[in-house]
Amino acid sequence: MRAAATRAATALALASALSAFGATLAGEQAKSPLGLPPVPAAIAGSAPMQRLGERLFFDRGLSANNTLSCAMCHIPTQGYASNQSALSIGMEGHSLRRNAPTLYNVVFKKFLFHDGRETDVAAQVWGPLLSPDEMGNRAIGPLLDRLRADAVYGPAFSAAFPGEGVSMTTLGRAIAAYEATLLKGDSRFDRALFAGEKNALTPLEWRGYDVFVHKGGCVSCHVIGEDAALFTDQAWHNTGVAFAARAFATTRIELAPGVFQNVRLSDVGLSAPTVKNDLGRFEISGKPEDRWAYTTPTLRGLKETWPYMHDGSLKTLEEVVDFYDRGGGPNPALDSKIKPLGLSADERRALMAFLSTL
Amino acid sequence: MRNMNSNSGSKARFALGLCLLAGASSCASLAPARADETCNSPFMTGLIKGQEQYLHVWTLGEKGVGDESDKLVTIDVIPGSPTYGKMIHTLSVGGRGEAHHMGFTDDRKYLWAGRLDDNKIFIFDVGSDPSTPKLVKTIDDLAESTGFVGPHTFYALPGRVLVQALSNKLDHGGMTGLITYNNAGDLVAATPMPLDNGGDGYGYDIAINPGRNRMLTSSFTGWTNYMMDMSQLIQDSSAMKNFGNTMVMWDLKAMKPEKVFSVPGAPLEIRWALKPGADWAITAGALTSKLYLVKEDDKHQWQAKAVADIGDPSKIPLPVDISISSDASSLWVNTFMDGTARLFDLTNPEAPKQVYSKKIGAQVNMVSQSWDGKRVYFTSSLLANWDKKGVDNEQFLKGYSWDGKELKEDFVVDFHKEGLGRAHHMKFTARSQKAESN
Repeated sequence: MRAAATRAATALALASALSAFGATLAGEQAKSPLGLPPVPAAIAGSAPMQRLGERLFFDRGLSANNTLSCAMCHIPTQGYASNQSALSIGMEGHSLRRNAPTLYNVVFKKFLFHDGRETDVAAQVWGPLLSPDEMGNRAIGPLLDRLRADAVYGPAFSAAFPGEGVSMTTLGRAIAAYEATLLKGDSRFDRALFAGEKNALTPLEWRGYDVFVHKGGCVSCHVIGEDAALFTDQAWHNTGVAFAARAFATTRIELAPGVFQNVRLSDVGLSAPTVKNDLGRFEISGKPEDRWAYTTPTLRGLKETWPYMHDGSLKTLEEVVDFYDRGGGPNPALDSKIKPLGLSADERRALMAFLSTL
Repeated sequence: MRNMNSNSGSKARFALGLCLLAGASSCASLAPARADETCNSPFMTGLIKGQEQYLHVWTLGEKGVGDESDKLVTIDVIPGSPTYGKMIHTLSVGGRGEAHHMGFTDDRKYLWAGRLDDNKIFIFDVGSDPSTPKLVKTIDDLAESTGFVGPHTFYALPGRVLVQALSNKLDHGGMTGLITYNNAGDLVAATPMPLDNGGDGYGYDIAINPGRNRMLTSSFTGWTNYMMDMSQLIQDSSAMKNFGNTMVMWDLKAMKPEKVFSVPGAPLEIRWALKPGADWAITAGALTSKLYLVKEDDKHQWQAKAVADIGDPSKIPLPVDISISSDASSLWVNTFMDGTARLFDLTNPEAPKQVYSKKIGAQVNMVSQSWDGKRVYFTSSLLANWDKKGVDNEQFLKGYSWDGKELKEDFVVDFHKEGLGRAHHMKFTARSQKAESN
């Protein structure tokens, strides 16, 4: 525990240093796809930095046993999230508490991870790298030493960061530079709303947009701006997902396509999985009002990034719309914005059609 | 592959069948199960038809147990030996990588053993002195050289080892492939599992019928699922979608898929009947708890069909390892959840019937029989995160005598008490291999 705490403290110190670095170049910005704000140049970095970051992002050698890379949980063909399971699976099969969030537009996030515990996209990489349950590196030094000695990485770091070479800072900046390229914009929605191409959305999708903005009130958290839409208010809310019962008396299991069986775990000789408690943002802030609250995720690439919610407990967009339509999950700290919506079948269908355009 | 000598394989297989034919007529449903050696490749020489002397257990390291590392454990199984039924050697390979299955090279001098997590393949010399295996090579670039991960089945071809992988390095899902190495451990070819004509791209086991130039493969799941806690997995509807539901019949020499069968619920181990003329194979669907038969129909078209339930499928007993007798008259089937070994009468493979069962422990996974079927060995571990928790996490090797009616316990090695870990796959060796003779 002490070693983990030390690593966490080191990572946080690095975060502060990187934030300071970012501030010095905050005025420079790079062009983005339609519907997205400019990317801060301090994070976007140079082409060599991005190429190096891409190599690091996909390198399974960055984990303690050469098994996991960033891309094993943030899978490019699955919207830089993972359709494989509700909760992410890490080192030696350890189950994490939460679902892998998409990395689309992560460069614009003010608060990273579901609980918003990090604020610097370059610094946050050290969290997963050093977590025993994720990539499992026991220390920083051996990983950096290996990269320095590597015939490819050594020169690549020197080219990307002249005079700096391999360090905690440059490794984080390189991965951040690659992640800054994972932009999701210029969708039919963007062309319809920001380029005036009204026919880019179908009438059904426009009706869904109307539900999203008005009757559904989704836009109050999943914000659409005047000339850009990140679909997040950069804040955290308790929607009651954490209260959605996971401990049913029986579990309905799909054993094969179309073959279902209701079973009690104890009846088949299994104990309940060890699920660690998850109090959301409260674990970071310590404020009672933050109990079971999680950051508002972007909705970009939504149809690629199932299952949904911080714990992957909702598998389809239909389940998500149902959840909000009935007013989320009742609990003592439910966000005041979450109320039953009373959507008609057509409104629900339209809303799902709209969400699929993002 | 082009140089493969299928004739030698055919000879080996039919020699095996002929030598067993004499006893076939006496094999009623409860006759001694013959020859777990039948699960080995027909291209492998050196079948042990007498008394096996050493039993090697590929053992998963376990946190809090001994050195916590994966290891090859050697047990003395020579009756009358002062160390009979005891561990006589361990070879720790370092770290935990989800040790799983093993397979001999065609000359039976080397034992290949894989790890499903970090994808390392260890090659042990078991020919020089089988009581003291030696690690001679480690292949550690499977993922980077092929894109596939999770080396599972190791199956001897002439001068080659065919490896069935379980997953891939792109998404850790179930799409995967077959890898061919030469006996020295050099990569020869990588072949993806079929995705067309009904193929789902998944893989698990390999079983070859050289006389018909046919190879069967089955299908399981990818890294994310086989590494995940089992209780969590079966409650995760997204993850439960990611199991294989097919078997593939291949043209062996061409290494081309010919037909994909629908076999729902993760068909695992495959065993061809070795009885001459009995060109059929059997497998067990792990999730659907059914035995499936692969056989030609009246129009000489290969088909797969469910032929029996294993226990009560509604209780999900989770059938795991199976072992067919050499005359194809019976089949041991282990069900992991209830820790039970079940013997099925295969006299009519179209309608197998369970004729015997015995609870082996709180959990049971692998089963291996001696050549004469009089000795049956069981181990406990399935996968590190699928094994039961707490007191039900028994880890053992148990040796039994089988007289055609009852399993009688001969010895137990408690893998926790011995500081070893989780006991998984077993293979036999002997100082003097008595191939093709008693």
